[in-house]
Amino acid sequence: MYHHDHCEGFQCEQQQLEATLAHSGGELGALDRLIAWFRQRSLFVLAYGTGCGAIEMRPLMTSRFDAERFGIIGAATPRQADVLVISGYLAIKTLKRVIRSYEQMQEPKYVIGLGSCTINGGMYWDSYNTIKQLDHYLPVDMYVNGCMPRPEALIEGFVALQKQIANGAPSGAMRYRENIDWYKANQRRVLGDNMPPDYTYDWYHAGDVA
Amino acid sequence: MLKLLFLSLALTPAATLFTWNGAVAWPLFDGITLLFDLTPLAAFFMALLAIGAPFVALPMLRGKSDEPTYALYAVLLLGMQLLLLAGDFIGFFIGWEMMTWSSYLLLLRSPRIDLEGAQSYILFNLASAFLLLAGMLFLYSITDDFRIQAIDGLLTPDKWALFTLFGLAFLIKVGALPLHLWVPRSYDQAPDVFSAFLSALMSKMGIYGLMLLPLLFPDGLSEISGRFLNGPVAGYVLAWIGVITSIIATFKAIAQEDMKRLLAYSSIAQVGYIVTALGVGSSLAIGGALFQALVHTLVKLLLFITIAGIILQTGHRRFTDLGQLISRMPISFFGVLIGIIGLAGMPPLPGFAAKYLMYIGLIDAHWLLLLAALILSSTASFVYCYKLIYGPFLGHANSPEAKIATEAPWHYLVPQILLMGMLVALGIFPGWAIEVLIDPVLIGLGMTPIGAPAWSVLATSYGGYDGIAVMGVFATIFVLITALFFLGRGRMHRATSSYDLSFCGEVPTAATPLHYGAGMGRELRRVPLIGWILRHTTINFYSGLMHQTQATAGMIGTLYGSNPQVWILFAVLIFALTLTVQMLTGA
Amino acid sequence: MLHYFIDAFAMIGMSYFMGFLFYGFYRQFNARVQRRWGPSIFQNFFDNMKFLFKTETIIHGPMFFFGPMIIFAGAVTTVLFVPYLKDSIWLQGFSQSGNMILIVYLLVVGPLGNALAVGSSGNPFGVMGVTRGLTRLMGLEVPFLLGLALVMVQHETASVHAIMAAQPDFAHWNLVTNPLAFLVMILPFMASQHASPFDVVGAPVEVYAGPRVEFSGRLLGILMTQNMMMTVAKLVLIADLFLGGATTIWELIAKTFALFLLTAAISTSFPRLRTEQTVDFFWKIPLGLGVISVIATIWFPWS
Ligand code: SF4
Repeated sequence: MYHHDHCEGFQCEQQQLEATLAHSGGELGALDRLIAWFRQRSLFVLAYGTGCGAIEMRPLMTSRFDAERFGIIGAATPRQADVLVISGYLAIKTLKRVIRSYEQMQEPKYVIGLGSCTINGGMYWDSYNTIKQLDHYLPVDMYVNGCMPRPEALIEGFVALQKQIANGAPSGAMRYRENIDWYKANQRRVLGDNMPPDYTYDWYHAGDVA
Repeated sequence: MLKLLFLSLALTPAATLFTWNGAVAWPLFDGITLLFDLTPLAAFFMALLAIGAPFVALPMLRGKSDEPTYALYAVLLLGMQLLLLAGDFIGFFIGWEMMTWSSYLLLLRSPRIDLEGAQSYILFNLASAFLLLAGMLFLYSITDDFRIQAIDGLLTPDKWALFTLFGLAFLIKVGALPLHLWVPRSYDQAPDVFSAFLSALMSKMGIYGLMLLPLLFPDGLSEISGRFLNGPVAGYVLAWIGVITSIIATFKAIAQEDMKRLLAYSSIAQVGYIVTALGVGSSLAIGGALFQALVHTLVKLLLFITIAGIILQTGHRRFTDLGQLISRMPISFFGVLIGIIGLAGMPPLPGFAAKYLMYIGLIDAHWLLLLAALILSSTASFVYCYKLIYGPFLGHANSPEAKIATEAPWHYLVPQILLMGMLVALGIFPGWAIEVLIDPVLIGLGMTPIGAPAWSVLATSYGGYDGIAVMGVFATIFVLITALFFLGRGRMHRATSSYDLSFCGEVPTAATPLHYGAGMGRELRRVPLIGWILRHTTINFYSGLMHQTQATAGMIGTLYGSNPQVWILFAVLIFALTLTVQMLTGA
Repeated sequence: MLHYFIDAFAMIGMSYFMGFLFYGFYRQFNARVQRRWGPSIFQNFFDNMKFLFKTETIIHGPMFFFGPMIIFAGAVTTVLFVPYLKDSIWLQGFSQSGNMILIVYLLVVGPLGNALAVGSSGNPFGVMGVTRGLTRLMGLEVPFLLGLALVMVQHETASVHAIMAAQPDFAHWNLVTNPLAFLVMILPFMASQHASPFDVVGAPVEVYAGPRVEFSGRLLGILMTQNMMMTVAKLVLIADLFLGGATTIWELIAKTFALFLLTAAISTSFPRLRTEQTVDFFWKIPLGLGVISVIATIWFPWS
């Protein structure tokens, strides 16, 4: 079972930034490499403004930092989005909505955890109603460390994610599929009976675990 | 046995159409002879009747046989044939009365009819009949002749009088504003299948009557009123009546929450287009009017029969109570789909051919403001067309009955399938309809025929289009792209729950109001013009008229003071005034 | 036969190519106005390819699947019925068997087909978007067709070929001979392109992306593709009718680009209108102008 305990805080970020350097992507076929290149060139972002980090998403999109030059643009609904940005601490109440939105996104899909709160709870480490480690509930592809990280940091995260995609690294959704029991058990632990309905991960029941 | 007999009775219009040859004169009593003949114009409407009668009869056959209904329906058909065959106004009037009364009695057999509906139906139709009677007696008094033929040598005021009397009589029948009050009520309350007959065929009798007018006054329209741009002034007025009718009826239709009422208003609107085209009076426009009459007949038969099937299976008629029937009643879904495509006048189907001819007719007459108004109403009709298909078939099921409904019985499906076939075929071969159905009428009316170089081509002097090309290209691309899509990479899977919706992260449940059927069109009220139209009903118009009349009467009443001297003074003054005027004019 | 096939493919390919370049340019243009660098000019192509190669696509029943196919078929049919070049046997498609009114109606066939798909998804936000779209259509179609009708009356034909042939040089362009008609129809034309002041229907974040709310993956890719092709078809139609058509591909690109630049410039400068404001606007300003030009050019004897 996958468990996320070999890194914490900025270590995770560092590892992820470096992981792409090791990965060459040479084993992909030509078409796959082309598709991967298209994918990394066009990321539709579902910015889920959960915590205070959400404030950094606006300058990211507007004139000063202009994320659109990397092909990053906001999406209105989870159906159209490729990247889910969890911006900061996640209240348990919000977690349910986030999980549902994530499950409604279509693969390949990626999750970016923004801010220390998503890595280890940050300054909410002892809060009674926020989750501490996002990775226990959703498969995070990229962490952006800091409290709160500046838009430059977020852009760096996006660029690292793009490199990862271009190299053909599988999206976190794969991990989610493979370890769905573990993720669901974790989710149930905090949400109790208040779980999102199970038809959004219907492939799990259909025995279609890839 | 009885049912078979009934069905064969329903085929009589077809029999009449195909076997009729030569005129019949039937001497009634001295001096008066009834003439019967099948003119090309009558043959066109007879053809509509021949198509429609059996299709309406078939669903009526379902269940226990209902002799009075069958008998009345037979009388109704007889009356309408009489009306169409009549070569003089006596036969015409007899047919008209038979039609009115038998349809009224049929209407009364509906369990849903209320006093108001029945009264408005019979009052308006009687008014129409009496106007007709007055018109024909007036005609007799000046020409000593009852025959339906060109009248010449009339004084202009006489012409105007005849024109108004006949015009009003037939406009009531087609339900032009503000004479339409009976239409939505009776179409709504009539037995579900019979509504199809009312809307598809009986309203066409009004059109038939209106088309007799140019026969009575050959180029009289422009003669009595002069010309405006490229058409007659009287026609311009008629056309505006038609188009305003259709605009208002369209917005009313959008606001309805009951399927049959929506269709009733849409009938008013569609027939309004025909009136508009008749007003233009050129051969293109008359061709368009005839085409529209044909398409509207087919479409309304199809829609009303399908809706009757839905009501039969679910017991609901309101948009708020239905939904998601697409998987349970697929054939009915296609019925309504083809129906609304025809109704909206979308290209592959013949509704477009009719619209095209009417538009071209208006452009040819240079009546562009009318064109703009017509476009407004025909674009607005998309909204109610969408509502008509979304409400019952798409979205979420909103009542227990809608969740378990099954497809309608075959009595309903057979007419639907045949009508769909006819509509699609007409869409591919608009030229055929022109050549076979419409040109003979135009020639009979003494106009230049439109003509068609090939069956699939609709050609006018303004350019045309090729039905096969449009349909062929569309179908080819559709098949190609679907095939390509399946060849492509990537998994496609169906949502396992109908509640798997992107709903801002929330989880909708059965209690969430997800069906948008009733709310559709409600926000249209915020557009000032539409809001204004929807706030004012015709009933209010009539009661307003009444108030105004009373107020005027009251005001005039004050003139007559209680003092007798003032009266006498008035009388003397008026007397003196008349005398002076007469003296001055030398009489 | 072979000629038809090659021609059709050339038209489809060209519409797609021009479509994503134009939209790429539009995003660049918009970015520069806002003092940003903006994405690459091929960005729309990348987005489109990304969607077409998504590995997962959710559907809500067969009608939901067929909707995008209908809208795509409608868009391609439109493309094939608009003549792209004048006095040439190439890039004609099936335009000889069509006419202007047919094309205008073909423009709406697809969206209406897609509306069925939106309805069958069962998402009320989508249907709300469709209703808004139909409402806007009601507003824009009246002045749009009135503007075109003025041209039809002027040339006494509804055939695009004939109208193109009647404009041999600049002095005979309908833009010059009938400027009122152009003014009447240009704003509704922009709205039919979903351009900015009138884009409340499909604008992201506005009723949750409007009609497209439930579409994902490859179906969304199809929707994007047809949108780009449709945009080009409409631009070419207007260039044919008002700018005298084009004899070479370069001329065609230049003329359509000029029109596109006009729409882009207008749409970057104005904020979005609500649906009913849009309708009201169309029924007041462009339609009022239309009525004036009908009175001025048709009612009075000097015309
Ligand atoms: S990391 Fe800091 S800025 Fe971000 S959500 Fe947590 S507390 Fe707020």
